[in-house]
Amino acid sequence: MVDRQKISLKQFLSLYVLYAKMDFAWLLRDRVFASLAILSDVISNLSSIAGVFLLAWKFGGIGGMSRYEILFMLGYTSLMTGIYQVFFSSNNVGHISRRIGRGQVDHMLMQPLPLPVQLMTEGFIPFSGSSNLVSGAALLCIAVAKLGIRPPWWWALALAGHLAATVAILVASSYLASSVAFYAPAQAEEISTYVIDAQCSLAQFPLSGMPLALKAPLLTVFPAGLLGWFPSLALLGKPPLDLPGYYPAIIAVALAACAAYFFRKGLHYYVKKGINRYLAIGHRR
Amino acid sequence: MLKKGSTATSPSDIAVDVQSVVKVLTQSQRENAGNGVLKRLARPEKKRVYALDNVTFQIRRGEFVAYAGPNGAGKSTTMKLLCGMLLPTDGKVSVLGLSPEKNRISLMKRLGVLFGNRTELWWDHPVMQSFAWKKAVWQIPENVYRRNLEMAIELLDLKDLLKTFARELSLGQRMRADIAMMLLHAPEVILLDEPTLGLDVVAKRQMIAFLKTVNRENGVTIIVTSHDMDDLEEMAERILMISAGKIAYDGDFDGLRALTGRPSRLRLTVDSARPPDLTIGRLLSEEKGVCEYELDLSSIQVHELLAQLSMLHGIRDLEIQKAPIEQVIAELFRAWR
Repeated sequence: MVDRQKISLKQFLSLYVLYAKMDFAWLLRDRVFASLAILSDVISNLSSIAGVFLLAWKFGGIGGMSRYEILFMLGYTSLMTGIYQVFFSSNNVGHISRRIGRGQVDHMLMQPLPLPVQLMTEGFIPFSGSSNLVSGAALLCIAVAKLGIRPPWWWALALAGHLAATVAILVASSYLASSVAFYAPAQAEEISTYVIDAQCSLAQFPLSGMPLALKAPLLTVFPAGLLGWFPSLALLGKPPLDLPGYYPAIIAVALAACAAYFFRKGLHYYVKKGINRYLAIGHRR
Repeated sequence: MLKKGSTATSPSDIAVDVQSVVKVLTQSQRENAGNGVLKRLARPEKKRVYALDNVTFQIRRGEFVAYAGPNGAGKSTTMKLLCGMLLPTDGKVSVLGLSPEKNRISLMKRLGVLFGNRTELWWDHPVMQSFAWKKAVWQIPENVYRRNLEMAIELLDLKDLLKTFARELSLGQRMRADIAMMLLHAPEVILLDEPTLGLDVVAKRQMIAFLKTVNRENGVTIIVTSHDMDDLEEMAERILMISAGKIAYDGDFDGLRALTGRPSRLRLTVDSARPPDLTIGRLLSEEKGVCEYELDLSSIQVHELLAQLSMLHGIRDLEIQKAPIEQVIAELFRAWR
């Protein structure tokens, strides 16, 4: 699909404001629901990282990383998944294989907006999706304090850069795998769920002390090691394997380029062949 | 192709232009026996299906056109081609002078699309929120939005639904809300695929009246598909019939009837218990002194019919009607098979 029309920055930002308002209205539609949603999110986030942290506490660290370095890493991964959730988790924007597999890309083709703009804005849920972001930031602050780090002014920029690269890796991995759903909609409808869940689960495990044969694929073809372990050590001033601190950014750019190429090809196939398995619900909450 | 009623027009008068469009779809084939499964494991069998086979038609601005045909004839495929959800295998599609493939964004600002089995409403938000979303995404000017919203609320009786969550609406209510949402940006062309699907009589009447008003007063071009031929006849002046991917008829509804002769219904109210014997028609039903006959007015003049009827005794009333369009279509579908 040739779709070169651009939109103004003002309209782009106004879409974020629109989706933020809708998210706020959605969260507050019922006070009991809102309280339960926030509480269950916090419990779920903390319990997801508790296992690794308790192991680290019991054994005084894992693979050469101290207890609080592990906590720092867990805080970083929570922050990373928090950003992913805030920007991409709603309306199956991150889980794009669901939309493709259910023939719901049709709804996007009916909007007078470029598809990349729709994909960047429609998943924005700054209120209902922020629990991981908040708990991750809190864990990171505790770990920094316990480690006695006095970060220089540029450290916040480095943190933001690493987070942008790791979120880009996660989203690009999802879109790359989801491109298969254009060709096999029924079989690959849930492929993005498997990719994202597997990467986020693996991201919580420190790779320090693991053999290189295990580390290498997790830093290249299935880059779960770049979602938590690598950037955490880089931010703590100990970049692993003598790789440069910007290594995740290189992988992010390469993966994003691959994802864009295959997604575009898949989309062309979609409008050429069509997907005859439309499901009416699930693309929008 | 049987064609009637199309006249030459200037390009600016053309809302929809479909030229020699071919759409080939593939269907997977497989035998269920063990040998067949193994044989096709390495090389799956694919069947090529011509969903549209060299289809050409034009629709002028302001027309209300019914697009009909049996299941699998290519109606929805055409609708998807017109709004850019599918690309043709060959041929050219143009809507309002724009290519759905190359000018999708510009076109979507001027086109309204509604598929009966899909909703554009936000499921977990009140209806009004979906309307506000549409205003922001389509960048509808405030005055246009207000005008169209007020018109839709009044004509579609939506006032009490605006604060209701979309997931709590009945099918009829949802369709009304979806139609209202589709019209908020004042589209110049509307594509409706099975908009009356599953609606009860009241909701159907309301929707048909609304669409006719929009077409008549705002000059909006409307193309509608439906399986309900009576609905289509009530709404549209022109009907495009598609069968096996080809346009089989293009013209008005009377012309369509003429294809099967002039099938008509004669209803006689009689005094006697026995229905009168008519040589010119076939008795369809008899109930409480009302007898209904099927006859073909192309084979008998009305004055001859009246002369025959005047010879009969005990006739209190008579009524001649066109045969229901459903019957005409059913005969045509059978003939095309």
